[in-house]
Amino acid sequence: MVESYISSLSAYVPELLACLVMVGLVILEATYSKIEDGKRGLFNLFSLLGLLAVAIVLLLQKSNSATTIFTGSMTIDLLASMAKLVMVIGTIGAFYLSWGSKDIADEQKGEFSILAVGVLIGGMILASANNMLMFYIGIETLSILSYAMASFKKNDDRSAEAGLKYALYGGISAGLMLFGMSHIFGVLGTIQFSEIAMKVTELQTQQLVILIPAFLFFFVGIGYKIACVPFHMWSPDVYEGSPLPVTAFFSIVPKVAGIAALLRVTQLFFAHESVLSHSWMATISVMAALTMTVGNVSAIGQRSMKRMLAYSSIGHSGVLMLCALVPGVEGQTAFLFYTFVYLFMTLLAFFMISAMNDTYGNDYFERFNGFAFRYPMMAILLTVVMLSLAGIPPLGGFVAKFRVLSIIIEKKFFTLAIITGINSVISLYYYLKVVRLMVFKPTETMEEIKTLSYVNQLIYFIIAIPVVWLGINWASVNGLLGVVSQSHH
Amino acid sequence: MQAGSSQLLNWILWMPMLGVLGVLLLPKDKKDWIRMWSLLNTALTLVFSVVLYMKFDNTVPGMQSPFNVVIPWIENFHIFYRLGVDGISLPMVMLTSLLFMICILSSWTIEKSVKAYFALFLFLQACIYGVFLSLDFFLFYVFWEVMLIPMFFLIGIWGGENREYAAVKFFLYTFFGSILMLVGMVALYYASGSNAESFNILALSGGKFTSLTINIFGSTFSFSKLFFVFMFIGFAIKVPVFPFHTWLPHAHVQAPTAISVILAGVLLKMGTYGFLRIAYPIFPEASVHFSSAIAWLGLINVIYGALCAMAQTDVKKLIAYSSVSHMGFVMLGLAAMTVQGMNGAVLQMFNHGTSTAMMFLLIGVLYERSHHRWIVRPDGTKGFGGLYTQLPRYSIIFIIAMFASMGLPGLSGFISEALIFLGIYERFTTITVLALFGLLIGAAYLLWMFKRMFFGEVIEECKEYTDMNAREIFYMLPLCAAVIIFGIYPAPVLNVMRASVGQLVSLLSNY
Repeated sequence: MVESYISSLSAYVPELLACLVMVGLVILEATYSKIEDGKRGLFNLFSLLGLLAVAIVLLLQKSNSATTIFTGSMTIDLLASMAKLVMVIGTIGAFYLSWGSKDIADEQKGEFSILAVGVLIGGMILASANNMLMFYIGIETLSILSYAMASFKKNDDRSAEAGLKYALYGGISAGLMLFGMSHIFGVLGTIQFSEIAMKVTELQTQQLVILIPAFLFFFVGIGYKIACVPFHMWSPDVYEGSPLPVTAFFSIVPKVAGIAALLRVTQLFFAHESVLSHSWMATISVMAALTMTVGNVSAIGQRSMKRMLAYSSIGHSGVLMLCALVPGVEGQTAFLFYTFVYLFMTLLAFFMISAMNDTYGNDYFERFNGFAFRYPMMAILLTVVMLSLAGIPPLGGFVAKFRVLSIIIEKKFFTLAIITGINSVISLYYYLKVVRLMVFKPTETMEEIKTLSYVNQLIYFIIAIPVVWLGINWASVNGLLGVVSQSHH
Repeated sequence: MQAGSSQLLNWILWMPMLGVLGVLLLPKDKKDWIRMWSLLNTALTLVFSVVLYMKFDNTVPGMQSPFNVVIPWIENFHIFYRLGVDGISLPMVMLTSLLFMICILSSWTIEKSVKAYFALFLFLQACIYGVFLSLDFFLFYVFWEVMLIPMFFLIGIWGGENREYAAVKFFLYTFFGSILMLVGMVALYYASGSNAESFNILALSGGKFTSLTINIFGSTFSFSKLFFVFMFIGFAIKVPVFPFHTWLPHAHVQAPTAISVILAGVLLKMGTYGFLRIAYPIFPEASVHFSSAIAWLGLINVIYGALCAMAQTDVKKLIAYSSVSHMGFVMLGLAAMTVQGMNGAVLQMFNHGTSTAMMFLLIGVLYERSHHRWIVRPDGTKGFGGLYTQLPRYSIIFIIAMFASMGLPGLSGFISEALIFLGIYERFTTITVLALFGLLIGAAYLLWMFKRMFFGEVIEECKEYTDMNAREIFYMLPLCAAVIIFGIYPAPVLNVMRASVGQLVSLLSNY
């Protein structure tokens, strides 16, 4: 018992390290409550190094075989480790964004980091959850801290609205999910995923009558976290109301965690054909199609870049959900690849928007008018990101979409493939709008943008490298994705 | 065959990329250096293409193995960097090399962001070679799509008043078509059999999918017919086939001269090339099945394009619609699926490339003097008049271009159109007869345009125009030579394509 506990702990190092970082940050924040220059530097350095350590441990831990820890309540496998890695890098990016951002008051930057690490821990638990309890704990840790983060701008009505909206929606969906889970437990008599997975293959009709709606309720909880239609209503308002670094954080960490969890659940319970799996898969297909379409169509009319990205990220969750339709290694590989690329694209887009927001106090599209004449290199980077988000080769975003399309076409979901494709075209329209404004419109000012210092430009440049590289030599990350040999079958 | 052939295609494809690199390294304000470098670069590419033409063996059908390049790219998806050339792609490569060099010369007067212009222009050239030389569907798709990026900027930055709208419309339309093609491409990959999963166009060719069916929402479809339609739409948007043509007039009118030339001269041919390289060989049975539909669409293109051209008062728009009409002839030739028809179609692709390029270049020359393109201004007054007495050299070249695109015997357009009509007559007699009216309307709008612009009183404004200068005449000469020589003696082009086209026709005749 003790040995198994200790060996469990050794697989749990990333989460433990993240907890340590959080505690350390709390102590640092409490010790140096008044901000003076230099103190902030120590704080930032600690958070950065701490998270880098987590990322390194995750990379070391990476293995293609799965281990379950804590008497089967959590699984450490490639899907979990890599999803966590993406989340950690996303958090580092959001931290970096927050240091320079004017959208978060200076005295709150410490709180932001602490809460963000908390959300990250929740996300890591969710990505590894292997029973209903851990699943619920993960989602709730993720959510409750998020509510606080959304309402960070204390004097801003919209931020308060965002927090309240998030909390209300979150509360309701968590309740529904718990309701569903309790029925699943009631019918099957277990909360362990591995046992549920065995029992769902041999169900009687009466059990099905309860389990189908119960799983639907269960889905609501995940659907809410990944902002899939029709549970997405909170998302644009929360994204808009929250400070920019928080929005960047929200569009990466909870999403990746939620979809990783969706993938795991689908992979465990519904990999084999059954009545239950049919209804689950049908739900996912319909929701994915709706999510993509609603997200992309709504993004067209936006005036604020942040809100546009919020809707477009709904569109991307739709595509990511498709990976769940192909349970097993293939769906997982496509998902991980997509999140890798999505991570860098989203971060870079948010960095640029944040630069505008800090300079002008808003992030309307017009702010980018003639950007190409002011900062040609940066305009090229943003163009690359926008085209990549739309899925134009030879950029990472294209390959990511191609991989998702190829797995769903292999499973003969032609209609969904067409819908995904048409959504790409719709999304191209509003992504192109950014490019159009930057390149075709004259600039009103040649004023310098402080955020775009040479150091920052260099960092943005480095972030853009994977976006391009993953489009050209995508075999280079095969190791991270767990693609073993060159045989596809 | 001599040594060194094996890298020739790589040289042709990557030479323009080298050019891009050079342009980027040159300082921004050395405009003439940038121009000279680009010219040198395209000249070298043309030399490589001529070498390719000399080494090409006309008797061998299909891909000529000495030139093939195969390098693994993404191994676990069986994606290869695979290049090859046959009798269908060689004329297109030659056309591209020729037109790009000419366009660099005609772009000499561009003064706005010279560096970016030439970099994008050469980048576009590389992408076009990529499309014509790829033998891997994935690679083909990548080039097909990447090409949209330079086009978007070239139209959007250096275009006319309404350039943004035109650029976005062009990008979205083509992207829509490509997405359908992408879905079809991936479906083909998985349908090619679990052991041979492949994007290799040659391996997919030959009618392997004829008997395959797929289920969508409970109804059974023929795999090849369904995906033929997907591919068809993807390529048809590029051609453009009615009703997918609406992007074309905008893009043409707004684009700067050199881009209009490339658009009409080369890019439209990529659509029909797609039929010849991908849709026909991979789905021969579906192609035969839909051939009458293709013929009818081609006929609509011919007549509708010609009627639209007739109604235009903007001379560039008129030529843009005449392209729609002329590409209709190519579609008719493709629908014929006979030796003459298909040869005619490929020859028409080449000939239309030269003649329409001349027309657009000439309009560009005129525009640089007049800064408008109205045959009749919106207020009803004449835009041009009596150009013939004012610009004699210009008029002579214009007459050659006009008659070539009208299909006057002795000039290039005649031979290809005659071949197409010969090829299609037996299969679609009614369509042939109706399409002949297209020729008539074609003659009508061109002559009417000519009459209104070149004859009559010299209007006040036109008196200031100067005739073509040496540079302008210099770059028109090769095209003049091409339309005249290939009008009398088309063998240099026809011989190259004959074997490959014959092979495709014999594949189609099995179904």
